Amino acid sequence: MAFPTIASASRALAAGQVSPVELAQTCLDRIARHDGALHSFILTTPERALADARASEARWRAKAPLGPLDGIPVAHKDIYATAGIPTTAHSRLLQDWVPDADGTVVRLWREAGTSMLGKLATHEFAFGGPSFDLPWPPVRNPWDTTRFTAGSSSGTGAAVAAGFILGGTGSDTGGSIRGPAALCGIAGIKPTYGLCSRAGILPLAWSMDHAGPMAWTVEDCAMLLQAMAGPDAADPASAGRAAPDLRGITTQGVKGLRVGVVRQWHEVEQPATAATLAGITAAADVLRQAGAEVRDVALPSLADFYACGWLLMVTEAFTAHEPWLRTRFNDYGELLRDRMALGGLISGADYVQAVRRRRELCAAVRDAMADVDLLLTASAPGEAPPIDQVPKWTFDRPGFTIPFNVTGQPALSLCSGFGDGGLPVSVQLAGRPFEDAAVLAAGVVAEAGLGTRDRRPVLIGNASSRGA
Amino acid sequence: MTSSLTPEEFAALARRAGLPLDAAQLATLHAVHGHVEAMVARNRTALDGEARGRAAEPAHVFVPGQG
Repeated sequence: MAFPTIASASRALAAGQVSPVELAQTCLDRIARHDGALHSFILTTPERALADARASEARWRAKAPLGPLDGIPVAHKDIYATAGIPTTAHSRLLQDWVPDADGTVVRLWREAGTSMLGKLATHEFAFGGPSFDLPWPPVRNPWDTTRFTAGSSSGTGAAVAAGFILGGTGSDTGGSIRGPAALCGIAGIKPTYGLCSRAGILPLAWSMDHAGPMAWTVEDCAMLLQAMAGPDAADPASAGRAAPDLRGITTQGVKGLRVGVVRQWHEVEQPATAATLAGITAAADVLRQAGAEVRDVALPSLADFYACGWLLMVTEAFTAHEPWLRTRFNDYGELLRDRMALGGLISGADYVQAVRRRRELCAAVRDAMADVDLLLTASAPGEAPPIDQVPKWTFDRPGFTIPFNVTGQPALSLCSGFGDGGLPVSVQLAGRPFEDAAVLAAGVVAEAGLGTRDRRPVLIGNASSRGA
Repeated sequence: MTSSLTPEEFAALARRAGLPLDAAQLATLHAVHGHVEAMVARNRTALDGEARGRAAEPAHVFVPGQG
């Protein structure tokens, strides 16, 4: 199995065609051969991975697997606390922190039988980046190592695309799952706010933070989400809802669903590249042919969402980091400290005005979705830019992802094709709160129709070439 | 986008926040502060462009017993 998906690996494990140890070792070997060029891992944990895999193998032999994820190689973004394993947040400030306990999602995936291969690079504390002034280098895009991965779940995006892991955790406060999923050509879902516990995940902005999965396919994301969603008393934002049943996601279809294309965002406000626009059109066609009704829908401007979301994010981030910002300011990387510092200049009234604006934006989207079940737009404007040409500030370029952090709706990024540079482009599907299953079902249909999943980046030694 | 604050006023604001910024860092942040002011202003009106009603509730609502 050169590049198995989680679904195909799970079937092969069940049929005895591959062992968990073989799967884990294949991934570890690939990491050893190629991650020197990508830097997707902060730390690999081969002994832990193989111990997990051997335990899984014993369960499969005893015909008592813990579920479909038993023996699947995964890794965690390095803001997820892992018991006895360093958790750095890719920051000098936590370089030596070793948590005592697993975070809730880490525990849930461990209890599902996954093999844990290590900790994945991130933008510092899930916010700065790409940063070249930290103890570890920024992640490189496996499709072209001169290119950016986006962030902050940059290690997860690159590691999944490179086939180092079959799935991994991300977190998303303004697009940190969907951005790297888009630029690395994989799938990633930001579930509904409160569906997955954030207990044991270092916070960026409490009211905007979401935990979620990233994998090569939408189906794989559904399998991972199934194992990480659910109520958790340890997370004050937990919605208290049971995990949705996602087992039938590949056959659910989209017949009768109404899809609203947010044309004004990706055609007018932030015009996407021709390849991205073509991908949106193709995805709409696929969904229409599968029985969905596709129409245009109008939403508030990206600038409105960005002004609200950015202000909430930096103010809450400043609050979380205030003691260190006052005493260890220069121990942070430049990008992160400068962004968070601006949050310290926001008045209390300004913050509350943003929270009031948030209610208005949620109401506007709810009203717009009275006539549509799903929203379709871009995840990113186009292909990954050169990593050394990423601007420090993006005030004049509000992204496509932050609106759904403001509203808390589920939103999925999936690969829709490839641009002129041979790099992936993507689309984004969003649904109503707690209708994550509908988003994933539509994503499965779109992904199958778009036909992008047979193309992987080609890794050569510790360098990469273009995908083939 | 230019900040409405003078460099001296901006430095005072940063000091009030407890930020130990050097001159270069102050200049960097002052240069982009106008963008922050623009977003703050955008959030201060209702979505329809009208003045927000005094009773308009924020999104985050306190729940007794839960916080």
